[in-house]
Amino acid sequence: MKSRRAILGTAAAVCVAGALSGVARATTPPAGSTPSPEATVAPLTTEQPLTKAKVTLAVNPWTGSAVNANIAKVVLESKLGTPVELVDIDENASWPGLDDGSIDANLEIWPSGHAADYETYITQNQSVVDLGPLGPQAKIGWYVPKFVVDAHPELATWEGFKDPALAKLFATPETGELGQFLMGDPSYVTYDEQIIKNLKLPLKYVVGGSEAALLSAIDKAVADQTPLLFQFWKPHWKQLEVPLVEVKLPDVTPECLASAKAADGNYACDYAPDNLYKAASAKLKDKNPDAWALLSNLKLTTEQQSEVAGWIDRDKMSPAAAAARFVTAHADVVAGWLAGGSTPGTTAGTTASTG
Amino acid sequence: MTRRRPMVAAGVAAAIVVAAVLASWWLGSEVPTWWNSHLQPWARDTFRWISRNRTHHWLFVDVFTPLARAMSSMVDAVLWTLRSLRWPGLAAVVGVVAWRTGGWTAAAVSLGSLAVIGVVGYWSLTMITLAIMIVAIVVAMLIGVPLGIWSARSPRVSALLQPVLDTAQVIPAFSYLGLLTLAFGIKSPPVIAATVIYAVPPAVRITALGIRQVPVVLNEVGSSFGATPRQHLRKVQLPVARRTLLLGLNQVIMMAFGIVVIGSLLGTGDTGNEVLRGLQKLDVGKATAAGLAIVAAAVMLDRATTGQRLGRPPAHGRAIVGGGLVLAVLGALVAKLGGWAPFPTAWVVDITGSVKHASTWVQEHLRNGIPLIGGTEAISRVLVVDVLEPLRKLLTWLPWLVVVGLFAAAGWLSKGWRLAVVLVGCLAAIAAMGDVAGGGVGRNPMWDLAMDTLSQVVVAVLISLVIAVPLGILAGRSRVVHAVLRPVLDLAQVMPQFVYLVPVLFLFNAGRSAGVVACVVYAVPPGIRLTALGLREVPVTPREAAISFGATSGQELRKVQLPLAMRSVLLGINQTVLLALATVVIAALIGAGGLGLTSLGGMIKQQQNFGPGLAAGLSIVLLAVALDRLTQAWGQGGPTSSGGTNT
Repeated sequence: MKSRRAILGTAAAVCVAGALSGVARATTPPAGSTPSPEATVAPLTTEQPLTKAKVTLAVNPWTGSAVNANIAKVVLESKLGTPVELVDIDENASWPGLDDGSIDANLEIWPSGHAADYETYITQNQSVVDLGPLGPQAKIGWYVPKFVVDAHPELATWEGFKDPALAKLFATPETGELGQFLMGDPSYVTYDEQIIKNLKLPLKYVVGGSEAALLSAIDKAVADQTPLLFQFWKPHWKQLEVPLVEVKLPDVTPECLASAKAADGNYACDYAPDNLYKAASAKLKDKNPDAWALLSNLKLTTEQQSEVAGWIDRDKMSPAAAAARFVTAHADVVAGWLAGGSTPGTTAGTTASTG
Repeated sequence: MTRRRPMVAAGVAAAIVVAAVLASWWLGSEVPTWWNSHLQPWARDTFRWISRNRTHHWLFVDVFTPLARAMSSMVDAVLWTLRSLRWPGLAAVVGVVAWRTGGWTAAAVSLGSLAVIGVVGYWSLTMITLAIMIVAIVVAMLIGVPLGIWSARSPRVSALLQPVLDTAQVIPAFSYLGLLTLAFGIKSPPVIAATVIYAVPPAVRITALGIRQVPVVLNEVGSSFGATPRQHLRKVQLPVARRTLLLGLNQVIMMAFGIVVIGSLLGTGDTGNEVLRGLQKLDVGKATAAGLAIVAAAVMLDRATTGQRLGRPPAHGRAIVGGGLVLAVLGALVAKLGGWAPFPTAWVVDITGSVKHASTWVQEHLRNGIPLIGGTEAISRVLVVDVLEPLRKLLTWLPWLVVVGLFAAAGWLSKGWRLAVVLVGCLAAIAAMGDVAGGGVGRNPMWDLAMDTLSQVVVAVLISLVIAVPLGILAGRSRVVHAVLRPVLDLAQVMPQFVYLVPVLFLFNAGRSAGVVACVVYAVPPGIRLTALGLREVPVTPREAAISFGATSGQELRKVQLPLAMRSVLLGINQTVLLALATVVIAALIGAGGLGLTSLGGMIKQQQNFGPGLAAGLSIVLLAVALDRLTQAWGQGGPTSSGGTNT
């Protein structure tokens, strides 16, 4: 028993020592953070030593987010002498991180899912700052695999789904006589139940529960050639792999947007596009003004982002390598960010979103 | 068995149900809007208040933030140690520690597990997981063991702790992760906090059990020699309870690793994150490899620390320990000076391809075209159309007070009026959780979600029993079956559930049947184990008596073994129910809906959904407590048997 006690004692001593040292060094950044050797990749030819304050960027679990963060990392490290740490984190959890400064910036936020976070942290707390649009426009919508529209061209618009016989093509054991409308990750904004009710469509709203549930349903639908109607969005890597068609919903109208704001249950139109935006911790401005300026100026076009995402998803390149390739290939774009000029404007929050 | 007036008991039960029917005729079949605890708006407002004040209020600035810093420094220190040891040093340390606590077998198993971490290709990332888990486990033991000792000594503390422990153990982590992020920030500290919440209950319970089990004689010997309470605890109770305490440590380790994958949502950047990435890309191979690394880390820690070495180590023990430690330092130095990789790349085996291949084969061949049963898709259809949907419809169609009345009657019949009161309390509290804002379409009471979840849990438990009891009987009667099943069961219990969600999705389609299957996979192992245990513990005498009277093997099983093993089988039912409920949230990720889906709100779109998320999480707890107490009562006998009521 002695040695067990000794072992536990040593473990406890290590912990206590660590704890004390941590309390003493009040500036220690939160841990578990040291990037693993597997995650670090040799930086692009560094033109300056990394002497400036470290910048922590959130990487949310989709390719676009990895593209932006990795490009920013390459530029910050190679041009501005700023070491960058990338943190893989859930999009919801990244807000408290921005709030207290343990994350310096998140470069791709979809406004539709985070209206309440915007209100709390950007408008009220003012601990997080809207750094302006990233550039690409995203769009949520109703989708079917292309073969569905090939067989039934009338299903390219919502009116096709008014026909109960056509809607029944989408029925599953869970929906009985009605057609299934599949929603994936519940963290996405959804008006689908209201749209179905208000347009009087013979459909039943089913929550798959996760993006994986949705993706597996798409894979199966394509493999078995069975119809599937679901909420999806672009940009998404699956769009490169499987031909999907967006179902036309009624145009977005001011009344419809007002109904979304009022949450009165009368939403009956298409989703407004999402203008992806960047957000930074207010503390970054004093900590590392150069990084702040670069992240404010950083902008990508939809094409540029999709191109790099394709290298990662289709060509299986690592995000770091793909980012380095982009920075080398588009030196002029990067030079524009570094030269600056544009000031951050708040475009976010203009999108209809009550979440 | 003194049978006490069964007619009267049944009459009272019938009267309860009739009263419930009359009450719902009077009060309406839906939960009235006035029966509402207003927990949801309160929780939402509290959450918002915290999000607006966490960066300057003293509670966060002076309490939680320093705590978080202390935790992350501990993780840093442990991680630094693990990395400095490098693989040769760590292997030597693990080998020596495991040998010292558990002998050569323990050393071999720990070292093998350590090797698996590297071989599947996640050495460096799993060191982060290990560092976080070691800190969390130490903290959980530091909190759990004293609480356990205290509750063993004071029945009042024990009674007060019971509901807290129940809640901590069953409430889905998703329900409160958002809150922990606000309190402790991101990365490892909130994950440690979540792990501690989840892993402390078994530490408290098992410690208390161990201390209570110390024979009275020993306690009296101690006091007759004039030992002070502290001496008594240190010299008598703790040593005697050692075996149980180690079982507690084992449970803490196993529970703790259950948080790893969910915890990686908060930015730990460890192996758990790789499981999530695999899931997001439907990459079963990657998810499995990362899952195996997590399992191996758990097994390694467990075998290295909870060995039951009895008696003194052999004389050369000291030399072996010393030699091992010298080897560790040497190994670390050589690896450092030689610039060795964190783990030899030549030893890494890429299993992702073959796992993917196997999983695709299973997906393609089990879905359709199997003679007679058709395939998993047909099973899924039958499950939803003929079983789950009718049961859900029935439960939601029944007026809520009638459901409460039925539970009360069942409680009365199983144990007596105390249980009936507990069950009524749990269900009435669920009804008081209010409505969940849907997509802006109609009313959506938490009660209906609870009935949806209840229907799924009932079906999952029945299926689990149909699978578990026969397999348990086989395993109980045959050592070969037992030996074959054991590693499979271990793996099913420790493997992060996220790993097998993709094949389940492909085989059963997103929906309630997939959810039920996920619950069954998780709930079957304890059912098998407890059934087998029950059979093996049947005393030899009655079995031999039966055989000497010429009973066939089957007769002996039915007439002797099963009746005597019944209590263990019933305990198995109880565990199956609890584990099925613990999987409700995972099931929601693959389309089960119900309470699980709503409880995800504690993590996603937290600003709006924290209230409903917490309320749904607590409803899961209440449902679990109700079903737990009810099934426990079956193992103890009802008011018609000698177990006794007070009436």
